[in-house]
Amino acid sequence: MSESSNAGRFPFYGPQGRLVLVDSALEAVSRGSTTIGIKTPKFAILSSQIKPTHPLIEPSEKIFSIDYHVGATGAGYIGDILQLIDTLRLEAQKHKLTYESPIDTDSLAKHLSTYLHNYTTYAVRPQAASIILAGADETGVQLYQVDPSGTFFRGSGFVIGQASDIALDVVTKEYSADLTQQQAIDLSKKAIEKALGEKPIVETGIVLAGENTFHKIPFEKGN
Amino acid sequence: MTTIVGIKTKDGVVLGSDKRASKGFFIGSKIVQKIAKIDETLAVAIAGQLSDAEYIIKVAKAERRLMELRRGFPLTVKESTRLIANLAYSGLRNYQPYYVELLVAGVDQHGAHVYAADMSGAITSEDFASSGSGSPIAYGVLESLYNKEIKNEQAKEIATRAVAAAMERDPGSGNGIDVLAIPTITMEVAA
Repeated sequence: MSESSNAGRFPFYGPQGRLVLVDSALEAVSRGSTTIGIKTPKFAILSSQIKPTHPLIEPSEKIFSIDYHVGATGAGYIGDILQLIDTLRLEAQKHKLTYESPIDTDSLAKHLSTYLHNYTTYAVRPQAASIILAGADETGVQLYQVDPSGTFFRGSGFVIGQASDIALDVVTKEYSADLTQQQAIDLSKKAIEKALGEKPIVETGIVLAGENTFHKIPFEKGN
Repeated sequence: MTTIVGIKTKDGVVLGSDKRASKGFFIGSKIVQKIAKIDETLAVAIAGQLSDAEYIIKVAKAERRLMELRRGFPLTVKESTRLIANLAYSGLRNYQPYYVELLVAGVDQHGAHVYAADMSGAITSEDFASSGSGSPIAYGVLESLYNKEIKNEQAKEIATRAVAAAMERDPGSGNGIDVLAIPTITMEVAA
C-alpha cells in the first residue's frame, strides 16, 4: 500500500507519520496572539498581546486566574482557550474539596495534558490552544507550557503564538534568574514588540513566591 | 470498645493503643494491632469496626502513594486526614457509615500533627486526643500529664500510662499496650 493512499483513508496520521489534526492545531496556535511566560526563583510573569479590535469593542481578557495561587494564559482560538481555562479552574477546586489544600502547578499541568491528549486519540477536533501556566506551591514558583498534543514543558521562559521564534530569541538572550519583576515585564513587552514590529497592547499577570499569590497587573492602553 | 491515644510533641507524634478486640462480652482477640502505619511519616490509630477502618486505611494508603508519584511530593498530614474524612462523610450520607473513630497522626514539612476523624466526616486538630470506650479514663491521665513542651520520649510514657489507666477500669480495653512514635523529619537542604 502506498503512503499517499493510506493518508486518504485514515484520518489521523499523515504520510510523514504525523498527526495531521494536531499539527493543524499547532499551526492555529502559531497564528494566535504572541504570549510569554517568564520565571525566576522569586516570581513568574505571564504576558499576552491583546489584538486590537474595533474601538467600540472591549478587548477580551487574556490573563486568567485559575485559583489564588495559579494564573494562566494562552494562544490560539479564544473559545478553546476559555474551555481549557475552565477545566483548570474546575480541577483546582476539585483538589481543594478532596484534600483541603491548594493544588500544585505540576498536577494542573498534568491534568491539562491528559485532557488535551484525549482529543488526539478520538475522531474529534483537537483544541487549537497552547496554555502557559504559572503557579506557586510547596516546590516554589513553577512555569509550564502545555500544547494541543498534550505535550508539556516545565521551564523558565516560554513564548507561544505569532512570531514566537523571534520573541523567544529576545527572551532567551536577555533572560537572567535575577531579573526584577519590572525588568521581566519590560522584557516580555520588548519581545512581543520585536516579534510584531509594532507597539502592542499587552496584558500581564504575576505569581509571587512566598506569598503564593497570583494577580493581574492592570494594563495601560498603548503601553 | 478499645482505648487509643495520640499526642503531639515538640519533636513528633506518639500513638498508643490497647490490644483487645471485643465480641460483645467475650474477648475476641488479645493481640490486635490497632495502630496502622501508613508510611514512614503517617500512622492511624483505630477505634470501632476494624473492617471499616482497614478499608479506609487501604484506600488512604493507595491515594497517598498515587499522589506522591503524580505530583512529586507527598500529601501533608492534613491533606491525608481530609481524604479519610471525605470517605467517612460519603459513607454517612449514603446511610452506610464507616463505624470508625480514627486518630490520624504524622509529620510533614509543616511539623507534627494529630487529627481526630470520626464517622461523621468531621476532623479536628488536637494537641492530644483519645478515642474508644476507655477514652474518658485515658483523657483523665492525658489532661493531667500533658504539656506543650514534652518530647516523644516523655509522650511515650504518658501514652502508656493513659492506656494502662483505661485498661484498669474499662472492660473493653486490655491485654497489653502498643506505642508508636514518629519523629519530625529534618528537612534536607536542596542542593
